[in-house]
Amino acid sequence: MKPNQKDVEATRFKYLFLLPALILIFAVVIYPFIYNIVISLSNMSMSHFHDWQIVGFRQYAKVFSEPIFYSVLGKTVVWTIVNVFFHVVIGVFLAVLLNRYLPGKGIFRTLLIIPWAMPQYITALTWRGMFNYEYGAINLILSRLLHLPMVQWLKNPTDAFAACILTNIWLGFPFMMVIAYGGLQSIPKELYEVADVDGASGWQKFWKITVPHLRPVMIPAIVLGVIWTFNNLNVIWLVSNGGEPSDKTHILVSYVYKAAFNLYRYGYAAALSMVIFFILLLFGINFIRKTRATEGAY
Amino acid sequence: MAEVILKGVSKVYEGNVHAIKDISLEIADREFLVLVGPSGCGKSTLLRMIAGLEDITSGEIQIDGHTVNQLPPKDRDISMVFQNYALYPHMTVYDNMAFGLRIRHFPKDEIDNRVQEASRILGIEKLLSRKPKALSGGQRQRVALGRAIVRKPKVFLFDEPLSNLDAKLRVHMRTEIKKLHQRLKTTMIYVTHDQVEAMTMGDRIAVVKDGILQQHDTPMNLYNNPVNIFVAGFIGSPAMNFLEGKIEDKKVVFGGISMDIPPGVRTDGISDVIVGIRPEYFILNDVSPHFTAQIEVVEPMGNEIFVYFQLGKKSVVARIPADTKVRPGDALPLRINVGMVKLFDPESKVSLSC
Repeated sequence: MKPNQKDVEATRFKYLFLLPALILIFAVVIYPFIYNIVISLSNMSMSHFHDWQIVGFRQYAKVFSEPIFYSVLGKTVVWTIVNVFFHVVIGVFLAVLLNRYLPGKGIFRTLLIIPWAMPQYITALTWRGMFNYEYGAINLILSRLLHLPMVQWLKNPTDAFAACILTNIWLGFPFMMVIAYGGLQSIPKELYEVADVDGASGWQKFWKITVPHLRPVMIPAIVLGVIWTFNNLNVIWLVSNGGEPSDKTHILVSYVYKAAFNLYRYGYAAALSMVIFFILLLFGINFIRKTRATEGAY
Repeated sequence: MAEVILKGVSKVYEGNVHAIKDISLEIADREFLVLVGPSGCGKSTLLRMIAGLEDITSGEIQIDGHTVNQLPPKDRDISMVFQNYALYPHMTVYDNMAFGLRIRHFPKDEIDNRVQEASRILGIEKLLSRKPKALSGGQRQRVALGRAIVRKPKVFLFDEPLSNLDAKLRVHMRTEIKKLHQRLKTTMIYVTHDQVEAMTMGDRIAVVKDGILQQHDTPMNLYNNPVNIFVAGFIGSPAMNFLEGKIEDKKVVFGGISMDIPPGVRTDGISDVIVGIRPEYFILNDVSPHFTAQIEVVEPMGNEIFVYFQLGKKSVVARIPADTKVRPGDALPLRINVGMVKLFDPESKVSLSC
């Protein structure tokens, strides 16, 4: 059947409304993404800034042939797992507490969301100050209150990495708490009452009722958490001061940033960022499929 | 098997809100007691207090001779069925039914036997591997019943279990629960706001209003001998008609009608009364009618007809035989079955029957 003039006009009208969004998405997502793919296949760098050429998969080969890629990838995995684990555990724990009868609940809720509401770079720099060997709050607490030896937080690679993780755990748990709190409020209270009548303990109720009901909301939040943490440049960069000491605290994204904007290895950095993209894409698809997160409980 | 005794049970919420006021009630072993009342009257609160899901402010609750005031729900040996079924959505029907037994560390074979037996009783054998979202409302309610049955508790508690079902299924499940009671021979306490459910299911009915127990008795006694206007109006459908009347020369006068005082009614020193007439107390009679009704609305129900008309200044309803030829505007000669009419004190609202 041939569409009549009215239908064609109506369709055009719909596209007209979509046009601004399409232009914006093309400008800030699609074009940079395609440009990044092109650069990743090129030799663009400080020495070939204007005269860059397509060199095929040479940059990808370089990424995979350098041992540092694997050590940074390993650190990134540890960084992501430890951070997301504590974000979820602390977030769910606090959400469960907030969901109970608690005097002054509103005040606690507001206080607990503050780390998330603060600009990330302010928190990161504040924590960097707190990790200062001589004057930082952490060492003062360790030495004066707990009478423990002070730690060279930002001098030793492992301690510096731990300092970055601590900062990011502080920054990330409120998001998981807010999501879990919302999820908890949607669990019908009768389920807990039935379990009470059946004789379930608090722990059994948590594992048999709370956890299965939180799954559909927490799995997408965990996927987001993994992607955000995996790609979190700010905290690593600001707390460790650009991967110090001796580039030992890098995760992939800070390593890419350094390669691109400190060392001007644009082609290499673009190839590495494509590798990061595919790692996260594969993770996201597999995680959601395996956990069947998109299937609702009801 | 157990009797449940409530002695002066009260519940006061924060802000001095009295949800339950000094209720005393004895529910016999194997009895089916229905707690009925309008929304917010406290009947569910009372049930939840028996279950242990709500604290008791004062009074005592005994189950099978033991005071359970301080016992948590799990130690009261009760099962409860909720209005919204409260099935675990992530578990299969089998797991839902087995959950309580697993928690109590029953042997696997015993759990399997009990689940199979309960599913046979309820006709849900084929649904055991399904999850609740794949079940209809009626099937979900059966599973909720099954979960209660497998525990073999001393007392079953039902909190408006049929309210979420459609009218037809509700009637069907009503019979199923009644059959279940006859089969299990266990004490059951059933909360509903639906007086038809109460009348059809209960061995006895306890009527609650504003947290106060108004009357508890067999369905027929409640229907025929209500102690006050609330019970008289709440039980029965269509509801009892109430008319303002006076006692004059040993006669009851109301809406232009003068009739004898019903037997067994105290009217000494009383001049004003509320006259309560159930729709079926009006009888078609063209020989010696009390009055002629000008019919305003006719509602044929198939097995009977409801006719609405004005008596005095009030609209009243009468139940007449289905084969009566009547249309709006017709004049219908009616006689009142004087022996059944109820009189109430307009001040205290209580029945004047001895």
